[in-house]
Amino acid sequence: MTLSAEPQSKRMATLLRLFAWLWALVLLGCVLGLAWLVRDGLPVDTRLTAMLPEDHQSPLIEQANVQLGRGFEDRFVLLLSSPNLKADTQALARALGDAGKHEGQDTPLLAKIDWRDTDLIDSDPRQALGRYRYRLLTPELQHIIDQDGGESLIEPALRNLFSPTGQPDPVADPFGLLERWLDARDESPVQARNGLLTVTLQGNPHAMLIGDLAGSPYDIGAQQAMTRTLKDFEQDHPQATLLRSGLIFHAAAGARQAQREITTIGLGAFIGLVAILLLVFRSPWVLAQMMLPLACGLLLALPVTLMLFGRLHLMTLAFGASLIGIAIDYALHLQCDRAVHGRDFRLGRLLPGLTLGLVSSLLAYLAQTLTPMPGLRQMATFAALGLLGAWLSVVLWLPRMRLPSPAATRRLAEGLWRWTTPRRGLTPSIALVGLLICSALIGWQLTSDDSLRLLNPSPETLLDQERQVQQALGSDTGNRYLLVTATDEAALLSRLATLGDTLGDWIDEGLPLRITNLADSVPPLGVQQESLARVKRLYGQPLKALVQQAGLDDKVVERARTRLEDAPVLDVATWLDSPLGNSQRRLWLGEPESEPETQESVRIAAALLVQFTGEDGQASALEQRLTALAGNDDDVIYVNRVARIGELLGQLRKNIVWWVAAAVMALSLLLIWRYGQNTWRVLTPPLGALLGTLTLFALIGIPLNVFSQLGLLLVLGIGLDAGIFSVEHGSRASTWLAISLSTLTSLLAFGLLTFSATPALHYLGLSCLIGLAMVWCLVPWVRPSREHA
Amino acid sequence: MRIKGKSLRHALVVLLLLSGPTLAFELDDLQDRLNQTETLEGRFEQQRYLADLDTRLKSTGHFLYERDARMVWVLETPIEDRLVFTAENAADSLDEKAGAGSDRQRQQVGTLLLQLLQGDWHALQERFTLDVSGTNEAWQVTLEPKAKALRQRFTRIELKGADYLDNIALYAANEDVLRVRFFDQRPFDPSAAEAGNDPER
Repeated sequence: MTLSAEPQSKRMATLLRLFAWLWALVLLGCVLGLAWLVRDGLPVDTRLTAMLPEDHQSPLIEQANVQLGRGFEDRFVLLLSSPNLKADTQALARALGDAGKHEGQDTPLLAKIDWRDTDLIDSDPRQALGRYRYRLLTPELQHIIDQDGGESLIEPALRNLFSPTGQPDPVADPFGLLERWLDARDESPVQARNGLLTVTLQGNPHAMLIGDLAGSPYDIGAQQAMTRTLKDFEQDHPQATLLRSGLIFHAAAGARQAQREITTIGLGAFIGLVAILLLVFRSPWVLAQMMLPLACGLLLALPVTLMLFGRLHLMTLAFGASLIGIAIDYALHLQCDRAVHGRDFRLGRLLPGLTLGLVSSLLAYLAQTLTPMPGLRQMATFAALGLLGAWLSVVLWLPRMRLPSPAATRRLAEGLWRWTTPRRGLTPSIALVGLLICSALIGWQLTSDDSLRLLNPSPETLLDQERQVQQALGSDTGNRYLLVTATDEAALLSRLATLGDTLGDWIDEGLPLRITNLADSVPPLGVQQESLARVKRLYGQPLKALVQQAGLDDKVVERARTRLEDAPVLDVATWLDSPLGNSQRRLWLGEPESEPETQESVRIAAALLVQFTGEDGQASALEQRLTALAGNDDDVIYVNRVARIGELLGQLRKNIVWWVAAAVMALSLLLIWRYGQNTWRVLTPPLGALLGTLTLFALIGIPLNVFSQLGLLLVLGIGLDAGIFSVEHGSRASTWLAISLSTLTSLLAFGLLTFSATPALHYLGLSCLIGLAMVWCLVPWVRPSREHA
Repeated sequence: MRIKGKSLRHALVVLLLLSGPTLAFELDDLQDRLNQTETLEGRFEQQRYLADLDTRLKSTGHFLYERDARMVWVLETPIEDRLVFTAENAADSLDEKAGAGSDRQRQQVGTLLLQLLQGDWHALQERFTLDVSGTNEAWQVTLEPKAKALRQRFTRIELKGADYLDNIALYAANEDVLRVRFFDQRPFDPSAAEAGNDPER
């Protein structure tokens, strides 16, 4: 037996040495790769929305969402009020225009800034739409012509001819039909005043500045330049007040907060970790050895994640700090065993536990890579790679390093063991009763919350400014809309017009709504025909009277009438290409990229925006009416984007439950194969902590959300590690010390996130804090009295 | 109207705009001259040339002008109408039911007219390049729009005058021309003199 084992273990040792060198080579490659990838700086992404799931359910809705949201990202609006409005606006516009130019950077902050009253004048819309004017009548004009044939339109037409401000065109449009129609299209509250663009907010004129960013709103350099410029301006002009609206301000606030928390919470966790390890192992060398696997894990995770995803999300980096908590487990177990057993230490004895620990954690993480949230996938990949790297370093390198095993560590381990071992263990029947009680409480009391609020870290003042600006501008970010589909353009337009009429009736009833409807701009064919008939009536006697009273030549009448003969019908494409129609392009979905088999039924689609302008309390009644309106018709879908994202978050939360449940089932089979009757002892710490945390949430009334659930996933991973090791080496004080240190360090790394101001991180931290504490409490009660064979 | 304090800069701008050393008459002189007029009343004759029809539409009436406050434009022939332009709100027609007040372009034309009448060079220079020539007794200013959007509407504006502004000609891009001649101009309502001659006020 010993004879045959000798050469085998020698061969094994040679193989292990080879692997250790190989791993060193891989890491060297990683260092070189990382250096090459970050040669232009680390590509960091601070978007919180990257955490959001993509909408795979309906490609049409997804297309509409993308299109409606476009143009809002790179743009921002500032409203300025000041006693010296003109001078201050000029100063601010100049400061913003110069920002980023003289700081060694080649790229300015802004691509464009509009603030003069001439800045928003596009090319004359009359040129593009002139030929269509005889088919476009405002409802008011339709009414007037129906009533008196247009007699009452003669007087204003005359005034337009003789007033110095008029721009008459007696042949093409003696009654100024197009001008009236264009006026009705233009609902913008922006006014030209004293050379500025102004809007009125609570009775006060505010100057408006609209900026287009040269780069991304998530670019940290741009955010800093913007923050600095506005801060300097406010310091130099204390009498001025600024209202901000735009993604860049929210992104900057989010990034600032995330950075602040990484430095406070992340650093706090790190210092706590170092202090505890020094206290237990009494050697800076051991500390360095503990950190080595972490460094190796990061070294593997960083370049590979960058290579796979192109850029790193700030959340991924934040979790890099948290990775410390888990990856240190392996080193802790090895080191504790070595410190307590000294020369008797053998890696082979620890290897099954270490491997199972890695496999269970990887399973928990890999379940997250299956989620549809890109940010989460990246985070899970990063964590899984980091764990793998750390594990390889622990197994291949650490046993080769000689280290002191101080008596203090042994004493500490034995003291802890004596102090925390309960007189009696837990029996399976009591565990079962506990499980039933907890499950009942959870089923009865636990609520959930999937609202989008969790993802929004913006401070209240900024949200308030955003609301004020949106209110002043009456702008619609396209949150609520009716998605209408039809087989051709004519059918779509008349469908839109009918819906518009219904919504118009609701507005007349007093429902606080504002709608943006393509059919108001491009009337259905029938309406355009009727309008032309009315204009022909107007061009009878009334036109003759106008020409005579103005003293114009009679030929004008004939020339004007000739123009009616080949008046073309306005179609959607022509309207969208005109200067005014440009802003409605986002409403038009044209022919959606649908599946070949459904193309028969759906040809084209458009969105009808519905903006709610009332109090929040009334919104639910509106939701119901809109849902009912859309429910009447298969070709109309009502979409509320914010609610939909919440719905997706909820789906995601439920999906995770099923994935994790499946992973636990698979794992249980593996555990039964190895531990047999003792399997319940392995599963009690993780599952007990899970149920315990949920029960506590249910009792206190904290709703479950996707982020607290992600935290529970971490509890599950760490709890499984603890369960596996406590069963593998139940009677060893060193194992219990390692488990205690591991839960304590993870508590530091994750539990401290409870104090984050970002709701997402707060909930993740809270569930870790409670769950990990429960893991630690449960282990002593279930560990077996004998070592696992 | 904070103009006096920036006269030096204005003079520089004008110097740059004008080519040649013969700088007989400056915008500042003109500004000072027009600013001496606190109130003005008079008659006007407007002639609109419609290039497409090769026709001239003539109208006459009278006006009242109070500096920095408002301009009242009363049309007498061939139709009667009354328009009020104020510094804050460009065009405020009495005719509300036709919805004429909501017309943005018309408002902008109204603002422009008021600025031209006041000789508000400071505001005008933001949008036009100004060219001044002539003497104190017969001056002429030509304005050309800087922005492309504005050039699509007006190619140039010509102002002529002596003690007061006497002629405006507005050349539209479609070759229409609006000419206004002012005559019988004189100050009115002595109570307005209380404001004094300080242009800063």
